[in-house]
Amino acid sequence: MLGEKKLKQIAQKVLTFSEANQTEVVMVVSQNGLTRFANSQIHQNVAWNDLGISVRAVIGKKIGVASTNSFEDKALKVLVQRAINLAKLQKDDPYFESLPKPQAYQPASQDVYRISEKERASAVAVIIKKAKAKAIVASGAYQSAVSELAVANSLGVWAYHTSSSVDLSTILLGANSTGFAAQVGKKAQDIDASAVAELAIDKVVTSANPIDVEPGEWDVVLEPQAVSEMMAFFNWLGPNARIYHEKASYFSGKLEKKVLGENVTIIDDPTHKDAFPMPFDFEGYPKAKLEIIKNGVLTNICYDSYNARRYKAKNTGHALPAPNTAGPIPLHVYIAPGTKSRNQMIKSVKKGLLVTRLWYVRVLNPRSLAITGMTRDGTFLIKNGKIVAAVKNLRFNQSIPQALQNVVAVENKLTPIASFESEMGINRLPALLIRNWQFSSGTLF
Amino acid sequence: MLKTAQKILAKIPKVTYADVRIVEKESEDIATKDGVVEALASSTSIGYGIRVLKNGAWGFAASNIITTKEIDRTIKKAVAIAESSAQYKAENVLLDHLKAIQAKYKTNVTEDPFTVPLTEKIALLLAADKAQRVNSKIVISQAFFQANKERKYFASTIGSLIDQEIIWTGAGLETSAANSNDFQNRSYPNSFRGQNQTRGFELVRELQLAKHAPQVGKEAVDLLTAPICPSGEMDLILDSNQLALQIHESCGHAVELDRVLGYEASYAGTSFLTPEKLGSFKYGSDIVNLTADATIPGGLGTFAYDDEGVPAKRTYLVKNGVFVDYITSRETVAQLKKAVSSYNKPSNGTMRASSWNRLPLIRMTNINLEPGTWRLEDLIADTKKGIFMSTNRSWSIDDKRLNFQFGTEIAWEIKNGKKGRMFKNPTYQGMTPQFWGSCDAICNRDHWVVWGTPNCGKGQPSQVMYTGHGTSPARFRKVKVGVVKW
Repeated sequence: MLGEKKLKQIAQKVLTFSEANQTEVVMVVSQNGLTRFANSQIHQNVAWNDLGISVRAVIGKKIGVASTNSFEDKALKVLVQRAINLAKLQKDDPYFESLPKPQAYQPASQDVYRISEKERASAVAVIIKKAKAKAIVASGAYQSAVSELAVANSLGVWAYHTSSSVDLSTILLGANSTGFAAQVGKKAQDIDASAVAELAIDKVVTSANPIDVEPGEWDVVLEPQAVSEMMAFFNWLGPNARIYHEKASYFSGKLEKKVLGENVTIIDDPTHKDAFPMPFDFEGYPKAKLEIIKNGVLTNICYDSYNARRYKAKNTGHALPAPNTAGPIPLHVYIAPGTKSRNQMIKSVKKGLLVTRLWYVRVLNPRSLAITGMTRDGTFLIKNGKIVAAVKNLRFNQSIPQALQNVVAVENKLTPIASFESEMGINRLPALLIRNWQFSSGTLF
Repeated sequence: MLKTAQKILAKIPKVTYADVRIVEKESEDIATKDGVVEALASSTSIGYGIRVLKNGAWGFAASNIITTKEIDRTIKKAVAIAESSAQYKAENVLLDHLKAIQAKYKTNVTEDPFTVPLTEKIALLLAADKAQRVNSKIVISQAFFQANKERKYFASTIGSLIDQEIIWTGAGLETSAANSNDFQNRSYPNSFRGQNQTRGFELVRELQLAKHAPQVGKEAVDLLTAPICPSGEMDLILDSNQLALQIHESCGHAVELDRVLGYEASYAGTSFLTPEKLGSFKYGSDIVNLTADATIPGGLGTFAYDDEGVPAKRTYLVKNGVFVDYITSRETVAQLKKAVSSYNKPSNGTMRASSWNRLPLIRMTNINLEPGTWRLEDLIADTKKGIFMSTNRSWSIDDKRLNFQFGTEIAWEIKNGKKGRMFKNPTYQGMTPQFWGSCDAICNRDHWVVWGTPNCGKGQPSQVMYTGHGTSPARFRKVKVGVVKW
C-alpha cells in the first residue's frame, strides 16, 4: 500500500503537469494473492502487486484518456501529454459539460486486512483433507486482495478509499457429480473453510447419480449463487441509464411503472457494511443508497455525470472508469429479503427443481432481457416439499423480468456473493422461488 | 530488457526450474458512437513475472517495479510460495524435456498501426459511423478500432532467451435499429468489435468499413420486420464468422489438456474429451479435420514461441473425424504420457499468459476447421430446405463442452437451393459430437477466413487471451433450430 498521503502527492504532481482545461486522475493500487487447487493439491499459487494510473484530459468538450502502470515522474509526464494529445485530436462531445466538482463523502471503513500464502494454503488444506476423507476430489481457489482507489481532478475533487477482500470457493468432484460452495469476506477470519468444505461435500454427495428430467416449465428454487448469476445481467442491462435511453433495455420508457412482481424490491446500497462499502464512484462522485425497484415498480435508474447531463437527470454515482462504453452500472445490489427460510421455500414446492448455480449465462436479447445458460454443480428434484433426487444439468432460456414477475417467495436472509463477471462489487442476494422457469434441453451429466 | 530478464534469472537461488518473463504492452482503443468519438484511449504497461519450480511445486510472483530491491522481494516471494505449495502437493510437478532456444521474432506487418496518425483513424471510423445511418430507425451507429503491441522477453534456466514482439489490430462496425417493439443489431465483418488479426493497419484498410456500412444499416432495419426464425430440425449452413465461435467453444476449449486433467475444474469446468478417447473417439464426420496452428500468417493466435519457450506448431486435433490430440504444455504432456503409454509427443506450445502478472496457461492458438471442397454457391444450391446463419449474437455451452446453444444476428431461408427471405432471432442447439458428426460439407479455401476471437476468458484470476479460428462455411444436417422465441 502506498497510503493516502503518497497518492495525493502523485495526483497533485499529475495535475501540475497538465495544461488541459480539466484533468482527472484515477489510481488503483493493489496487492493480490491467489491459491488455486485441483486434483486435491495446490497447483497455482501466485502473488502480484500492481498499480494503474489513468488520466482523463478535457480540452473544451474534447476528451482523451491515457493510462499506464508506473508512478515515475517521467512516465507521468508522458502519460499526461498522451491524454492531452488524444483530447486535441478528438471531436467535440456535445453532451459533455464538466468533470464533477468537489464532493463530501459518507465515511466508510478504511480497514484493510492482509493474508499470507501460508494462511491461504492452510485453509485450502482443510477442504482437501475433508474431501479426501470422503474419497472426493477437491478443486477451488482462495483469492485475496488489498487495494487503494484514489480519484482527483483539477476542480478540487480528492477521494481515497482502501479495502480488502478474501474469497474462497470450491468445486468438489465425485464419480458422477460436483458440488459448489463459497464464502466471501474482508479478512481471513470471515472465512470458515470447514463450513465451505462441508456444504460442498453435502452438495457433491447428494447430487450423485443424477437422473434425467424432461425440460419444460418448472418451479425452481434458485439458491443465492444462481440468483447472483442472473442478477449480474439485470444490473448491467436493466437500470443502466445509457441502455435505458438508447431504448435497448427492457425497462426503457417504463420508469415508475410496474415491471416486476410486487414482492420484489431491488436496491443498490454501496454504504452497507456487508457490501464492501464504496463511498464514491470512479469519477469521485458520492455513492448513496438507490432504490431501483420498489414492490415491482421501477423507481430509479443509475447515472454517471455524463449520462445525467445528457439525459437531464440527477447523477447517482455509478460511473465506471473512463472511457466507459458500458454505461453506469450498480455494483452493490441487494434484493429485499422476504419472510421464508430456504427450507420453508423448498417445503412449499409440490414439484420443482433446486438450482445451486447457473453457468455460462449469456444475453439472448437485451430488449427482453432474455438469457440462456446451464445449471451446474448441484441440481435437485423437489417433490412434495422434499429433495428426492439429483438431476442432470439443464439448459434454460429465460427472460429475467418474466422470472422476477413470477417470484413466489423471497428468502428471509441475504448472502454476500462475489460476482463471477465483475470483481468490483459485492451483491447480497436471497434464494428465490420462481414459477415457470423455462428449461429447453438437457446434457449428459 | 532481455539482459534484465537474464539478470533476474541469475539472482534466483537454486531451484528445479525457473523462468522470467518481462512484458511491455501498448494498446490503443478508439470507439465512435452516433458520430461522436466515445472512447479514445491509450494504455501502456510493463512488469515481470517469475515462475519457479521448487520441491516439486510451483511458485509465481510478479511486480511492475524493476528495482534491485523489488526484484529481490519478488524472487523471495515466488520461492516462498513454491515452498508453501510443496507442503500440500500430491506428487512432484514434472516437466517434459525441452531444448534451449535463443531467438527473436516480430509479427510481420505492412503498416504499424501505432504509426498511422490518430486523425486518420478517427476520420475513417467517423465516416463508417455516419455511413451506417441509412434509415431513421437506426438508433445507434458504432465503429471500432483497436491495436495492441506486446513485447515479451523470456529467459529460463534451461538456457532459453527469447525476444518476441506480437502486434495485432482490429476494426469493425455495429448498427442497432429499433421500433416500438423490437431492437436488432447487425455487425461487420463480425460481432464484438469486428475482425482482429496479427497484422497491421493494412487489415483496417482492407475491411473498407465505410463501403460496407450502408448494407449493415439496411440489414439492421430489415431485421425489425423480418419473420422470426422457424423452429424445427433442418439443415444448417453456418457462415465462417459463426463457425469460428462454434469451433472455439466446442472444440478449442474441449481439447485444452489442463482442463481435461481437472486443473480448470474450479472455474471453467472439465471436458468430455477424456484421455481414454484419444485416438479412437469419433468426434465428427469423416470430413472434419481440426488443427491447432500457431504458425498461420495473420492468425490472431499466431506467435513464434509460447510462454514456456516451446516453438509454435501445427497439430491435428481431429483427423478424418477422429479425436487425435490435445493442446498441451510441458507439465500436462508429461502427465498425459503417464496416463496414455502410447502418447509420445512433446508439448505443442500453447502456454500463454495474458499479462506479466499472470501465470501462463494452455490457451488456444488458431484452432481451425481445415477447408473442404465445396464452393458456397454450390453448397446452397445443393440444400433443399435449410437455414443459413451468420454472425454470432449469443453463445453458451455446458462445463464439459457438450450441450451448446448459439444465437446469430441474422439468418436466411434456403429453399430449393436458393437463399431467400431473411429471419431474425435465429438460434440453434446441439450436442458437440452429434453436431460435428452431422457435418457433410465444408467450403473450400477460397472461402476460408482466419477470424480473431480476442476475448477468450480462462483461469483464476481471469485471463483474457487473443485466439484465432480459420474456417469456411459448412453444412450440418438435421440441426435443432429456432429453439427460443422472444
